[in-house]
Amino acid sequence: MNTLKILLRNLVRGPSTVPFPFAPAWTPERMRGRIEFKLSSCTGCRACEQVCAPGAIRFDKTPEGLRFMMWHNTCVFCGLCEFYCPTDAIRNGNDWHMAHAVGEKYGMAIRETIPYVACTACGMKALASAPNPAGVKPPFTPEEIEQQRNLCPACRKKALAERGVQP
Amino acid sequence: MTLMQTLTEKAKNLAVRSPWIYRINAGSCNGCDVECATTALIPRYDVERLGCQYCGSPRHADIVLITGPLTARIKEDVLRVFAEIPDPKVTVAVGVCPISGGIFRESYAVNAEVDHYLPVDINVPGCPPRPQAIIEGVAQAIALWRQRI
Repeated sequence: MNTLKILLRNLVRGPSTVPFPFAPAWTPERMRGRIEFKLSSCTGCRACEQVCAPGAIRFDKTPEGLRFMMWHNTCVFCGLCEFYCPTDAIRNGNDWHMAHAVGEKYGMAIRETIPYVACTACGMKALASAPNPAGVKPPFTPEEIEQQRNLCPACRKKALAERGVQP
Repeated sequence: MTLMQTLTEKAKNLAVRSPWIYRINAGSCNGCDVECATTALIPRYDVERLGCQYCGSPRHADIVLITGPLTARIKEDVLRVFAEIPDPKVTVAVGVCPISGGIFRESYAVNAEVDHYLPVDINVPGCPPRPQAIIEGVAQAIALWRQRI
């Protein structure tokens, strides 16, 4: 009787083998996979570099700005960078199609630069990074973020004070 | 065409259908090895659908899966076993350790990256890579192996 039950179940459900690579494989929505980086949200606080266990993330000061580099081939998908990022600029996507030929080894990386701009208020050279939202109440609106992005640290402080919030 | 050439051609056509896989643990933490075993043994992933099979001897191997960061202690043995594998072969580095050293990068005890010592062809990053990712890497290796043979 049990055999019949199993036989019927197998006939109805089909094989339990996942069809990959002949058909797409199911991927959990929240699986930690390939790192995604959103340059426009990065505050340049370098917390991700600090917590990255295998040292996959690196920030360098270049003449153009603050360069962000992340090498997928040494990332262990621990998710610490996502956890500590104050603005969700860096996160684990659920893409796992990362097998590649050895020639593309060093191409498996993210290279982005937060550029230097002249502060709109005082003209000083400053990084065009997103403002840190920690403790800012009410939270920044998108327009305010764009405004803050083009200010130097001192002018940002001033603007925050005028907004009625202690920085 | 001589008889010998005909036989070689026939043998090649038969062989391309079923490459044999050999696993080298170059000082891995066993995470990637478990995933490799899962890929082969559990019917849910079943890498044998692609026509390949795990073999116990390096002399029978066509595709080599290397896991681990090539620790200083195991390096000579890995090189010796690798030299026993006949050509043509395709080498797949499974996990971030053989590719870059991963979490052990720049340690005094490991000789990562493996491709400084062995001719690696395919990289499958992950810590460990999920079984489907290993299957993807093996599929790429099979495609490469068919060109080589």
